Amino acid sequence: MDLENQQRVKDAAEKFGGENVVVVLGSSDSEGAEIYAETVTLGDPTYAGPLAGVPLGLCVYHVLEPEMKAAADPAKWEEQISMMEMVLNVDALAAAVSKMRAENSTYSCN
Amino acid sequence: MAKLEGKKLLLLGERDGVPGPAMADVFADSGAEILFSATECFV
Repeated sequence: MDLENQQRVKDAAEKFGGENVVVVLGSSDSEGAEIYAETVTLGDPTYAGPLAGVPLGLCVYHVLEPEMKAAADPAKWEEQISMMEMVLNVDALAAAVSKMRAENSTYSCN
Repeated sequence: MAKLEGKKLLLLGERDGVPGPAMADVFADSGAEILFSATECFV
């Protein structure tokens, strides 16, 4: 995750409280999604950015997980996301992010 | 829709995946406030 976005995530969590923040990822591959999810839960694994050593424990989803699809506007989903839903490996992306969420999100996602 | 009701959303999109603005559009009426949406790209 680039350094500027790490700072924005950190600022948002501090300002609004981690329990009120949900991070939604649009990553194309499961390795990238896992690193992003790790960054917003355990901290930056590359130790390069503002979240290095900062375990925010935020609730994190990939946008293609069923819970996010259910929360989205169906017509807009069809228009904006359904194409990528067909192209990307939804199961692998969902598995990578849900595992990280289950193990490392300290705030409830409900 | 209740899932995100009252939450603050941080949307981290990707150019080769789902871009930030696409996510912002589908969650616009979700009851959550979108704090920011970004689109990263890897080359």
